[in-house]
Amino acid sequence: MTMQTLVDGLVLGGLFSLSAVGFSLLFGVLGVVNLSHGAFVLIGGYAAYTLHEKLGLDPLLALPVIMLGMFCLGYAFQRSVIQWATKRASLLASMLLTYGFALMIRNALVLIYSPDFKSVTPAYAFDSLSFGEVTVGLTRVAALLVSIVLLAALAATLRYSSIGRTIRATAQQEQAAALCGVNIRHVFALTSGLSAAFAGAAGVAIGLVMPFSPPDETLWTVNAFVVVTLGGIGSPAGALVGGLILGVVNTMTAQLIGAAFPNAMMFLLLVLMLVVRPAGLLGNSFKGSR
Amino acid sequence: MLEVAKLHYAYAGAVAVSDVSLTVAEGEIVALLGANGAGKSTTVRMIAGALQPQGGSIRFEGQDVTRAECHEMVPRGVALCPEGRLIMPQMSVLENLLMGGYTQRDPARRREAIEEMFALFPRLAERRNQLGGLMSGGEQQMLAIARALMSKPRLLILDEPSLGLAPKLVAEMFQLLKRVNETGTAILLVEQNARQALRVSHRAYVLEKGQTVREDRSSNLIDDDAIRAAFLGI
Repeated sequence: MTMQTLVDGLVLGGLFSLSAVGFSLLFGVLGVVNLSHGAFVLIGGYAAYTLHEKLGLDPLLALPVIMLGMFCLGYAFQRSVIQWATKRASLLASMLLTYGFALMIRNALVLIYSPDFKSVTPAYAFDSLSFGEVTVGLTRVAALLVSIVLLAALAATLRYSSIGRTIRATAQQEQAAALCGVNIRHVFALTSGLSAAFAGAAGVAIGLVMPFSPPDETLWTVNAFVVVTLGGIGSPAGALVGGLILGVVNTMTAQLIGAAFPNAMMFLLLVLMLVVRPAGLLGNSFKGSR
Repeated sequence: MLEVAKLHYAYAGAVAVSDVSLTVAEGEIVALLGANGAGKSTTVRMIAGALQPQGGSIRFEGQDVTRAECHEMVPRGVALCPEGRLIMPQMSVLENLLMGGYTQRDPARRREAIEEMFALFPRLAERRNQLGGLMSGGEQQMLAIARALMSKPRLLILDEPSLGLAPKLVAEMFQLLKRVNETGTAILLVEQNARQALRVSHRAYVLEKGQTVREDRSSNLIDDDAIRAAFLGI
């Protein structure tokens, strides 16, 4: 039974990781705390729901399309809204602004989809795999795989590709990157696009394993905060570690202590972490954590 | 090749540069001298496109580039090696150099440029996988110059390259600038170390309170009593 809880925790943790990595990247590179990140996650979930209900498109096939769409949204969001706010006022202004956007998106989703819970249920939603005593739903396996593959892809992109190198250089030393000929505004917008694309992907994966409703956006933003604090800012590995720990702690607490306690445990962990190691377990790679 | 006229810049009301005009010809080394706060850094940052002038004009190779930003100036052939080096601390020497070659889209030519830099700075070749932030001040300065050279600039601007270097390294670095200049790169040099700067440069400008107050051949300035008293401490 403990094994089953552990596996469930890892699946949940994968979702936490994937939903936090974009938030972490944006904070690490731009210093912007995007409070509409959770709303972006939900947009991804509702997009998968709509594509499945209306066109019968499998959520896993819809994933690349949704990521592309969210990338464009994130790029435009940075070039228009956030850039404008940070240039005219401050990073704090961008926080207020993104909070406002989160409220607008949440209410727009209520108007379009109603406040009821929705879930994405492809044909294989009720199949499952068994390993000895452990049984895992097929959609859960898919969600965990999506999380791990996408996080690995992002880590490799940041580490080895030219655009990844440019993003890291901009995060570490913005002025020097500009002097190398990097168009900083473009790189910031690309980063924001990536962040939104991963939020959207997380939404699709979440839709596969659990029902969701518009007010959940707060939950996913807060989760991203906690994951980033646990794992460390800016790095996909930090998001993965933070997310998995949080997922396992969450399910273990629900199982062993009581269903009402995961949130309390989560914040206890957050406070402990801030006291013991404020940079997070793997935190050091970006300027946000310096 | 570079013509700067009547530049003006103020930071939030505090005037840093009020009236600076200067020119740099092909193949020249030009020094920009002046006390702290005279406006030297602000001037070269405007030329490189890191700051937008609030007045005056900048022309490079006959074209108006007054409003151009860094990412437009680097492809045109202007590179600034900034004051304080600004090395990317968590990136290796090799990655810092790759960033310097950012505007060079052809990977083969970028590799070629890196090999040239390693030949010019053997120390960097030895340390190619070391993190930039873990290098000594002198090594970081070499890396900053190499990074600026990676874009194959026609005009290289250096802001206080000798700052914080041991005297032996300073002499070495000025030798190196001469060699870079001999390959046809014009150099605009901002320096506190006026003696060395006047020795290596062809011409020099003196800045005072944001204005160009003198311009002459370096060989004349080095013997000039007023300059000697103001900058050479004699």
